[in-house]
Amino acid sequence: MTTSNGLPIVVIACKVFQGLLEELMPEGMAEQITFLDYGLHSVPDKLNWTVQDAIDSIENPSLVMLAYGMCGNGLKDIKSGQHTLLIPRTDDCIAILLGSYKKYIAEFYATPGSYYLTKGWLESGSNPLVEYEELIEKYGEKSATWIMDQQYQNYERLVFVAHNAQDLEKYRPQAQEVAEYCKRWDFRYEEIRGSDIYIRRLIEVAMALDKKDDEFVVVPPGGKTTLDMFLR
Amino acid sequence: MSDILAELSTAVIEGNVDDMADLTEDALDEDFSAQDILDKGLMPGMDHVGVEFKAGNMFVPEVLRSARAMHNSMDLIRPLLAESGASMTGKMIIGTVKGDLHDIGKNLVGMMCEGAGFEVEDIGKNIEPEAFVEAVKKYEPNIIGMSALLTTTMRSMEHTIKALEEAGLRDKVKVIIGGAPVTQTFSDQIGADGYASNAASAAELAKSFVN
Repeated sequence: MTTSNGLPIVVIACKVFQGLLEELMPEGMAEQITFLDYGLHSVPDKLNWTVQDAIDSIENPSLVMLAYGMCGNGLKDIKSGQHTLLIPRTDDCIAILLGSYKKYIAEFYATPGSYYLTKGWLESGSNPLVEYEELIEKYGEKSATWIMDQQYQNYERLVFVAHNAQDLEKYRPQAQEVAEYCKRWDFRYEEIRGSDIYIRRLIEVAMALDKKDDEFVVVPPGGKTTLDMFLR
Repeated sequence: MSDILAELSTAVIEGNVDDMADLTEDALDEDFSAQDILDKGLMPGMDHVGVEFKAGNMFVPEVLRSARAMHNSMDLIRPLLAESGASMTGKMIIGTVKGDLHDIGKNLVGMMCEGAGFEVEDIGKNIEPEAFVEAVKKYEPNIIGMSALLTTTMRSMEHTIKALEEAGLRDKVKVIIGGAPVTQTFSDQIGADGYASNAASAAELAKSFVN
Protein backbone atom coordinates (compact mmCIF):
# COMPACT_ATOMS: atom_id res chain seq x y z
CA MET A 1 0.00 0.00 0.00
CA THR A 2 1.19 3.52 -0.65
CA THR A 3 0.13 7.02 0.35
CA SER A 4 -2.30 8.93 -1.80
CA ASN A 5 0.67 10.50 -3.61
CA GLY A 6 2.25 7.15 -4.35
CA LEU A 7 4.97 6.92 -1.72
CA PRO A 8 5.51 3.64 0.09
CA ILE A 9 4.86 3.89 3.84
CA VAL A 10 7.57 3.02 6.35
CA VAL A 11 6.82 3.02 10.07
CA ILE A 12 9.38 3.79 12.75
CA ALA A 13 7.86 3.60 16.19
CA CYS A 14 8.68 3.45 19.85
CA LYS A 15 7.96 -0.01 21.18
CA VAL A 16 5.43 1.53 23.56
CA PHE A 17 3.06 1.74 20.56
CA GLN A 18 3.66 -1.74 19.21
CA GLY A 19 0.41 -3.25 20.49
CA LEU A 20 -1.74 -0.36 19.27
CA LEU A 21 -0.10 -0.15 15.87
CA GLU A 22 -0.26 -3.86 15.21
CA GLU A 23 -3.91 -3.86 16.09
CA LEU A 24 -4.88 -0.77 14.11
CA MET A 25 -2.69 -0.67 11.00
CA PRO A 26 -4.46 -2.15 7.98
CA GLU A 27 -2.87 -5.29 6.60
CA GLY A 28 -0.09 -4.47 4.17
CA MET A 29 -0.17 -0.74 4.94
CA ALA A 30 3.53 -0.43 5.61
CA GLU A 31 6.42 -1.55 3.47
CA GLN A 32 8.51 -1.87 6.58
CA ILE A 33 7.96 -1.47 10.33
CA THR A 34 10.70 -0.88 12.86
CA PHE A 35 10.05 -0.76 16.59
CA LEU A 36 12.80 0.93 18.55
CA ASP A 37 13.69 0.34 22.17
CA TYR A 38 11.55 1.95 24.90
CA GLY A 39 14.42 3.23 26.93
CA LEU A 40 15.94 5.49 24.28
CA HIS A 41 14.04 8.54 25.50
CA SER A 42 16.09 8.70 28.68
CA VAL A 43 19.08 9.71 26.54
CA PRO A 44 17.54 12.05 23.95
CA ASP A 45 20.77 12.25 21.90
CA LYS A 46 20.76 8.49 21.53
CA LEU A 47 17.09 8.44 20.57
CA ASN A 48 17.95 11.10 18.01
CA TRP A 49 20.68 9.25 16.18
CA THR A 50 18.88 5.92 16.41
CA VAL A 51 15.81 7.39 14.70
CA GLN A 52 18.01 9.22 12.17
CA ASP A 53 19.89 6.00 11.35
CA ALA A 54 16.60 4.18 10.87
CA ILE A 55 15.40 6.89 8.46
CA ASP A 56 18.68 7.06 6.57
CA SER A 57 18.69 3.31 6.02
CA ILE A 58 15.40 3.38 4.07
CA GLU A 59 16.31 2.80 0.45
CA ASN A 60 13.54 4.34 -1.61
CA PRO A 61 11.85 7.70 -1.13
CA SER A 62 9.05 6.99 1.35
CA LEU A 63 6.51 8.46 3.68
CA VAL A 64 8.05 7.77 7.07
CA MET A 65 5.47 7.64 9.83
CA LEU A 66 7.22 8.29 13.12
CA ALA A 67 5.26 7.23 16.20
CA TYR A 68 7.04 9.63 18.53
CA GLY A 69 6.59 13.04 20.08
CA MET A 70 9.32 15.60 20.65
CA CYS A 71 10.48 13.31 23.50
CA GLY A 72 12.83 15.68 25.31
CA ASN A 73 14.31 16.89 22.00
CA GLY A 74 15.02 13.33 20.89
CA LEU A 75 13.14 14.14 17.67
CA LYS A 76 14.71 17.55 17.12
CA ASP A 77 16.81 18.18 13.99
CA ILE A 78 15.79 14.90 12.38
CA LYS A 79 16.58 15.22 8.71
CA SER A 80 14.11 13.87 6.22
CA GLY A 81 16.68 13.31 3.45
CA GLN A 82 14.85 11.90 0.44
CA HIS A 83 11.78 11.04 2.49
CA THR A 84 8.69 12.78 3.81
CA LEU A 85 8.25 12.57 7.58
CA LEU A 86 4.94 12.45 9.44
CA ILE A 87 5.01 12.91 13.22
CA PRO A 88 2.36 13.52 15.89
CA ARG A 89 2.73 17.07 17.15
CA THR A 90 3.12 16.26 20.82
CA ASP A 91 5.62 16.62 23.62
CA ASP A 92 5.87 12.89 24.26
CA CYS A 93 3.99 9.60 24.11
CA ILE A 94 1.54 10.38 26.88
CA ALA A 95 -0.63 12.65 24.70
CA ILE A 96 -0.71 9.95 22.03
CA LEU A 97 -1.73 7.31 24.56
CA LEU A 98 -4.41 9.53 26.07
CA GLY A 99 -5.81 10.30 22.62
CA SER A 100 -5.10 14.00 22.27
CA TYR A 101 -2.82 16.82 23.22
CA LYS A 102 -5.77 18.58 24.81
CA LYS A 103 -6.48 15.64 27.10
CA TYR A 104 -2.81 15.44 28.04
CA ILE A 105 -2.64 19.13 28.93
CA ALA A 106 -5.82 18.86 31.01
CA GLU A 107 -4.34 15.92 32.94
CA PHE A 108 -0.99 17.61 33.18
CA TYR A 109 -2.14 20.82 34.77
CA ALA A 110 -4.68 19.07 37.00
CA THR A 111 -1.82 17.08 38.54
CA PRO A 112 1.64 18.07 37.28
CA GLY A 113 3.33 15.41 39.40
CA SER A 114 1.93 12.43 37.54
CA TYR A 115 3.92 9.33 36.72
CA TYR A 116 2.38 7.32 33.88
CA LEU A 117 2.41 3.56 33.55
CA THR A 118 1.30 1.74 30.43
CA LYS A 119 1.28 -1.83 29.26
CA GLY A 120 4.42 -1.14 27.24
CA TRP A 121 6.26 0.52 30.08
CA LEU A 122 5.29 -2.29 32.47
CA GLU A 123 6.45 -4.94 30.02
CA SER A 124 9.77 -3.19 29.53
CA GLY A 125 10.30 -3.00 33.27
CA SER A 126 10.48 0.76 33.17
CA ASN A 127 8.85 1.72 36.45
CA PRO A 128 9.94 2.97 39.86
CA LEU A 129 9.75 -0.42 41.56
CA VAL A 130 12.02 -2.15 39.04
CA GLU A 131 14.34 0.83 39.12
CA TYR A 132 14.55 0.59 42.90
CA GLU A 133 15.37 -3.11 42.75
CA GLU A 134 18.10 -2.48 40.19
CA LEU A 135 19.56 0.30 42.32
CA ILE A 136 19.65 -1.93 45.40
CA GLU A 137 21.78 -4.42 43.50
CA LYS A 138 24.13 -1.70 42.43
CA TYR A 139 24.40 0.52 45.49
CA GLY A 140 22.73 -1.27 48.41
CA GLU A 141 19.42 -0.46 50.00
CA LYS A 142 20.27 2.76 51.78
CA SER A 143 21.72 4.51 48.74
CA ALA A 144 19.03 3.09 46.50
CA THR A 145 16.33 4.53 48.75
CA TRP A 146 18.04 7.92 48.79
CA ILE A 147 18.37 7.97 44.98
CA MET A 148 14.72 6.99 44.54
CA ASP A 149 13.57 9.66 46.99
CA GLN A 150 15.53 12.31 45.12
CA GLN A 151 13.88 11.37 41.86
CA TYR A 152 10.31 10.70 42.88
CA GLN A 153 9.48 12.57 46.06
CA ASN A 154 7.87 15.44 44.15
CA TYR A 155 5.37 13.29 42.27
CA GLU A 156 1.94 12.73 43.73
CA ARG A 157 0.09 10.39 41.42
CA LEU A 158 0.68 7.11 39.65
CA VAL A 159 -1.56 6.73 36.62
CA PHE A 160 -2.05 3.46 34.82
CA VAL A 161 -3.22 4.12 31.26
CA ALA A 162 -4.91 1.05 29.77
CA HIS A 163 -6.53 0.90 26.35
CA ASN A 164 -8.99 -1.89 26.95
CA ALA A 165 -10.55 -3.99 29.68
CA GLN A 166 -8.26 -6.96 29.01
CA ASP A 167 -5.10 -4.90 29.42
CA LEU A 168 -6.52 -3.31 32.51
CA GLU A 169 -7.25 -6.68 34.11
CA LYS A 170 -4.02 -8.26 32.98
CA TYR A 171 -1.65 -5.51 34.07
CA ARG A 172 -3.53 -4.16 37.07
CA PRO A 173 -1.77 -6.44 39.61
CA GLN A 174 1.60 -5.27 38.32
CA ALA A 175 0.53 -1.62 38.34
CA GLN A 176 -0.82 -2.00 41.86
CA GLU A 177 2.43 -3.53 43.01
CA VAL A 178 4.23 -0.43 41.75
CA ALA A 179 1.53 1.71 43.40
CA GLU A 180 2.13 -0.05 46.71
CA TYR A 181 5.83 0.81 46.56
CA CYS A 182 5.09 4.41 45.55
CA LYS A 183 3.04 4.89 48.72
CA ARG A 184 6.33 5.80 50.38
CA TRP A 185 5.90 9.19 48.68
CA ASP A 186 2.14 9.25 49.27
CA PHE A 187 1.35 8.69 45.60
CA ARG A 188 -2.28 8.07 44.89
CA TYR A 189 -3.09 5.43 42.30
CA GLU A 190 -5.48 6.05 39.41
CA GLU A 191 -6.51 4.20 36.30
CA ILE A 192 -7.33 6.04 33.09
CA ARG A 193 -8.76 4.53 29.96
CA GLY A 194 -6.43 5.38 27.10
CA SER A 195 -7.69 6.32 23.69
CA ASP A 196 -6.53 5.09 20.30
CA ILE A 197 -7.86 8.16 18.47
CA TYR A 198 -4.49 9.81 17.98
CA ILE A 199 -2.89 6.63 16.62
CA ARG A 200 -5.88 6.01 14.34
CA ARG A 201 -5.54 9.53 13.00
CA LEU A 202 -1.81 9.05 12.49
CA ILE A 203 -2.46 5.96 10.41
CA GLU A 204 -5.20 7.70 8.46
CA VAL A 205 -3.02 10.73 7.70
CA ALA A 206 -0.10 8.49 6.68
CA MET A 207 -2.33 6.97 4.02
CA ALA A 208 -3.74 10.31 2.91
CA LEU A 209 -1.53 13.28 3.75
CA ASP A 210 -4.21 15.77 2.66
CA LYS A 211 -6.10 14.75 5.82
CA LYS A 212 -3.35 16.27 7.94
CA ASP A 213 -4.36 18.90 10.48
CA ASP A 214 -2.42 20.82 13.13
CA GLU A 215 -2.13 17.72 15.30
CA PHE A 216 0.67 16.54 13.01
CA VAL A 217 4.01 17.69 11.72
CA VAL A 218 4.99 16.94 8.13
CA VAL A 219 8.56 17.46 6.97
CA PRO A 220 9.08 17.39 3.19
CA PRO A 221 12.21 15.90 1.57
CA GLY A 222 15.34 17.91 2.31
CA GLY A 223 13.90 19.36 5.52
CA LYS A 224 14.35 18.76 9.21
CA THR A 225 12.31 18.85 12.39
CA THR A 226 12.56 21.85 14.69
CA LEU A 227 11.25 22.42 18.18
CA ASP A 228 9.03 25.21 16.83
CA MET A 229 7.07 22.75 14.75
CA PHE A 230 6.00 20.99 17.95
CA LEU A 231 5.37 23.90 20.29
CA ARG A 232 1.75 24.99 20.62
CA MET B 1 47.62 18.88 39.15
CA SER B 2 48.25 17.58 42.64
CA ASP B 3 47.32 14.00 43.37
CA ILE B 4 44.89 14.83 46.11
CA LEU B 5 42.93 17.33 44.01
CA ALA B 6 42.80 14.81 41.17
CA GLU B 7 41.56 12.24 43.68
CA LEU B 8 38.82 14.62 44.73
CA SER B 9 37.78 15.08 41.10
CA THR B 10 37.71 11.34 40.58
CA ALA B 11 35.73 10.82 43.77
CA VAL B 12 33.12 13.30 42.57
CA ILE B 13 32.94 11.59 39.17
CA GLU B 14 32.63 8.16 40.77
CA GLY B 15 30.18 9.36 43.39
CA ASN B 16 32.29 8.16 46.30
CA VAL B 17 29.99 9.70 48.84
CA ASP B 18 31.76 8.13 51.81
CA ASP B 19 35.32 9.14 50.93
CA MET B 20 34.74 12.84 50.40
CA ALA B 21 35.18 14.00 53.98
CA ASP B 22 38.54 12.21 54.37
CA LEU B 23 39.82 13.37 51.00
CA THR B 24 38.82 16.94 51.78
CA GLU B 25 40.61 16.80 55.14
CA ASP B 26 43.68 15.35 53.42
CA ALA B 27 43.73 18.17 50.92
CA LEU B 28 43.43 20.75 53.68
CA ASP B 29 46.26 19.01 55.57
CA GLU B 30 48.37 19.35 52.45
CA ASP B 31 47.75 23.07 52.71
CA PHE B 32 45.45 23.42 49.76
CA SER B 33 43.00 26.22 50.27
CA ALA B 34 39.27 25.67 50.32
CA GLN B 35 39.17 27.65 47.08
CA ASP B 36 41.66 25.26 45.45
CA ILE B 37 39.68 22.25 46.58
CA LEU B 38 36.59 23.77 45.05
CA ASP B 39 38.08 25.14 41.83
CA LYS B 40 40.61 22.43 41.03
CA GLY B 41 39.04 19.38 42.65
CA LEU B 42 35.27 19.47 42.93
CA MET B 43 34.24 21.73 40.05
CA PRO B 44 36.28 19.96 37.33
CA GLY B 45 34.86 16.65 38.57
CA MET B 46 31.30 17.91 38.29
CA ASP B 47 32.06 19.51 34.93
CA HIS B 48 33.05 16.08 33.64
CA VAL B 49 29.85 14.56 35.08
CA GLY B 50 27.74 17.10 33.20
CA VAL B 51 29.36 16.29 29.89
CA GLU B 52 29.11 12.53 30.40
CA PHE B 53 25.45 12.81 31.41
CA LYS B 54 24.58 14.75 28.29
CA ALA B 55 26.38 12.16 26.18
CA GLY B 56 24.40 9.35 27.78
CA ASN B 57 27.42 7.78 29.47
CA MET B 58 26.16 8.59 32.96
CA PHE B 59 22.61 8.39 34.28
CA VAL B 60 20.57 10.24 36.86
CA PRO B 61 21.41 7.96 39.83
CA GLU B 62 25.12 8.38 39.14
CA VAL B 63 24.79 12.13 38.75
CA LEU B 64 22.90 12.27 42.04
CA ARG B 65 25.68 10.39 43.81
CA SER B 66 28.27 12.71 42.30
CA ALA B 67 26.28 15.71 43.47
CA ARG B 68 26.01 14.27 46.94
CA ALA B 69 29.74 13.57 47.01
CA MET B 70 30.48 17.16 46.06
CA HIS B 71 27.99 18.34 48.63
CA ASN B 72 29.74 16.39 51.39
CA SER B 73 33.00 18.12 50.59
CA MET B 74 31.40 21.54 50.26
CA ASP B 75 29.86 21.22 53.70
CA LEU B 76 33.40 21.09 55.08
CA ILE B 77 34.93 23.87 53.03
CA ARG B 78 32.01 26.30 53.08
CA PRO B 79 32.90 27.80 56.47
CA LEU B 80 36.53 28.15 55.36
CA LEU B 81 35.50 29.94 52.19
CA ALA B 82 33.44 32.34 54.26
CA GLU B 83 36.36 32.87 56.66
CA SER B 84 38.79 33.60 53.86
CA GLY B 85 36.51 36.55 53.11
CA ALA B 86 36.33 35.82 49.42
CA SER B 87 33.72 38.26 48.23
CA MET B 88 30.56 36.87 46.72
CA THR B 89 30.49 36.88 42.93
CA GLY B 90 26.90 37.97 42.85
CA LYS B 91 23.42 36.99 43.86
CA MET B 92 21.10 34.69 41.97
CA ILE B 93 17.72 33.09 42.37
CA ILE B 94 16.92 29.73 40.86
CA GLY B 95 13.68 27.85 40.42
CA THR B 96 11.93 25.20 38.35
CA VAL B 97 9.12 26.77 36.33
CA LYS B 98 5.38 26.44 36.71
CA GLY B 99 3.97 22.95 36.24
CA ASP B 100 7.36 21.33 36.59
CA LEU B 101 8.32 19.45 39.73
CA HIS B 102 11.70 18.21 38.60
CA ASP B 103 14.41 19.72 40.70
CA ILE B 104 17.49 17.51 40.42
CA GLY B 105 19.05 19.61 37.66
CA LYS B 106 18.06 22.86 39.32
CA ASN B 107 19.60 21.76 42.64
CA LEU B 108 22.79 20.84 40.84
CA VAL B 109 22.93 24.25 39.18
CA GLY B 110 22.44 25.81 42.59
CA MET B 111 25.36 23.90 44.02
CA MET B 112 27.65 24.72 41.09
CA CYS B 113 26.76 28.40 41.21
CA GLU B 114 27.36 28.44 44.92
CA GLY B 115 30.72 26.87 44.16
CA ALA B 116 31.35 29.65 41.67
CA GLY B 117 30.87 32.14 44.48
CA PHE B 118 27.25 33.14 44.07
CA GLU B 119 24.83 33.69 46.88
CA VAL B 120 22.10 31.38 45.65
CA GLU B 121 18.48 31.68 46.69
CA ASP B 122 16.61 28.55 45.64
CA ILE B 123 12.93 29.46 45.43
CA GLY B 124 11.87 25.90 44.67
CA LYS B 125 9.83 24.12 42.03
CA ASN B 126 6.53 24.69 40.22
CA ILE B 127 7.18 28.43 40.41
CA GLU B 128 4.61 30.73 38.81
CA PRO B 129 5.91 33.65 36.72
CA GLU B 130 4.50 36.05 39.33
CA ALA B 131 6.44 34.27 42.08
CA PHE B 132 9.67 34.78 40.13
CA VAL B 133 8.79 38.46 39.85
CA GLU B 134 8.16 38.69 43.59
CA ALA B 135 11.47 36.94 44.30
CA VAL B 136 13.32 39.41 42.09
CA LYS B 137 11.78 42.27 44.06
CA LYS B 138 12.64 40.63 47.35
CA TYR B 139 16.20 39.44 46.72
CA GLU B 140 17.33 41.87 44.01
CA PRO B 141 19.51 39.25 42.31
CA ASN B 142 21.94 39.81 39.43
CA ILE B 143 20.70 36.66 37.75
CA ILE B 144 17.61 34.44 37.58
CA GLY B 145 18.08 30.80 36.62
CA MET B 146 15.03 28.93 35.34
CA SER B 147 14.85 25.19 34.85
CA ALA B 148 12.38 22.88 33.07
CA LEU B 149 12.58 19.18 32.30
CA LEU B 150 9.54 18.97 30.07
CA THR B 151 8.72 20.43 26.68
CA THR B 152 5.29 21.04 28.17
CA THR B 153 6.60 23.34 30.88
CA MET B 154 9.45 25.11 29.14
CA ARG B 155 6.94 27.55 27.65
CA SER B 156 6.51 28.93 31.14
CA MET B 157 10.01 30.40 30.85
CA GLU B 158 8.73 32.75 28.21
CA HIS B 159 5.76 33.68 30.41
CA THR B 160 8.14 34.46 33.26
CA ILE B 161 10.26 36.72 31.05
CA LYS B 162 7.08 38.52 29.96
CA ALA B 163 6.01 38.91 33.58
CA LEU B 164 9.42 40.44 34.38
CA GLU B 165 9.00 42.87 31.49
CA GLU B 166 5.53 43.85 32.65
CA ALA B 167 6.84 44.46 36.15
CA GLY B 168 9.55 46.69 34.71
CA LEU B 169 12.26 44.40 36.06
CA ARG B 170 13.59 42.76 32.93
CA ASP B 171 16.61 45.04 32.56
CA LYS B 172 17.50 44.63 36.24
CA VAL B 173 18.40 40.95 35.94
CA LYS B 174 20.03 38.52 33.56
CA VAL B 175 17.88 35.50 32.79
CA ILE B 176 19.54 32.16 32.18
CA ILE B 177 17.70 28.95 31.37
CA GLY B 178 18.37 25.25 31.12
CA GLY B 179 16.91 21.74 31.27
CA ALA B 180 16.65 18.78 28.93
CA PRO B 181 14.31 20.28 26.28
CA VAL B 182 15.87 23.76 26.32
CA THR B 183 18.18 24.86 23.50
CA GLN B 184 20.11 27.96 22.56
CA THR B 185 17.61 28.62 19.78
CA PHE B 186 14.73 28.51 22.26
CA SER B 187 16.65 30.78 24.60
CA ASP B 188 17.15 33.33 21.81
CA GLN B 189 13.51 33.08 20.78
CA ILE B 190 12.09 33.87 24.20
CA GLY B 191 14.61 36.61 24.89
CA ALA B 192 16.61 34.95 27.67
CA ASP B 193 20.17 36.18 28.18
CA GLY B 194 21.73 32.76 28.04
CA TYR B 195 21.38 29.01 27.98
CA ALA B 196 23.56 26.35 29.57
CA SER B 197 23.47 22.67 28.73
CA ASN B 198 24.78 21.46 32.09
CA ALA B 199 25.26 22.65 35.65
CA ALA B 200 28.96 23.44 35.30
CA SER B 201 28.43 25.57 32.22
CA ALA B 202 25.50 27.27 33.96
CA ALA B 203 27.94 28.42 36.64
CA GLU B 204 30.39 29.63 33.97
CA LEU B 205 27.60 31.45 32.18
CA ALA B 206 26.42 33.08 35.39
CA LYS B 207 29.94 34.25 36.15
CA SER B 208 30.29 35.75 32.69
CA PHE B 209 27.42 38.11 33.49
CA VAL B 210 28.87 39.57 36.65
CA ASN B 211 32.57 39.80 35.86
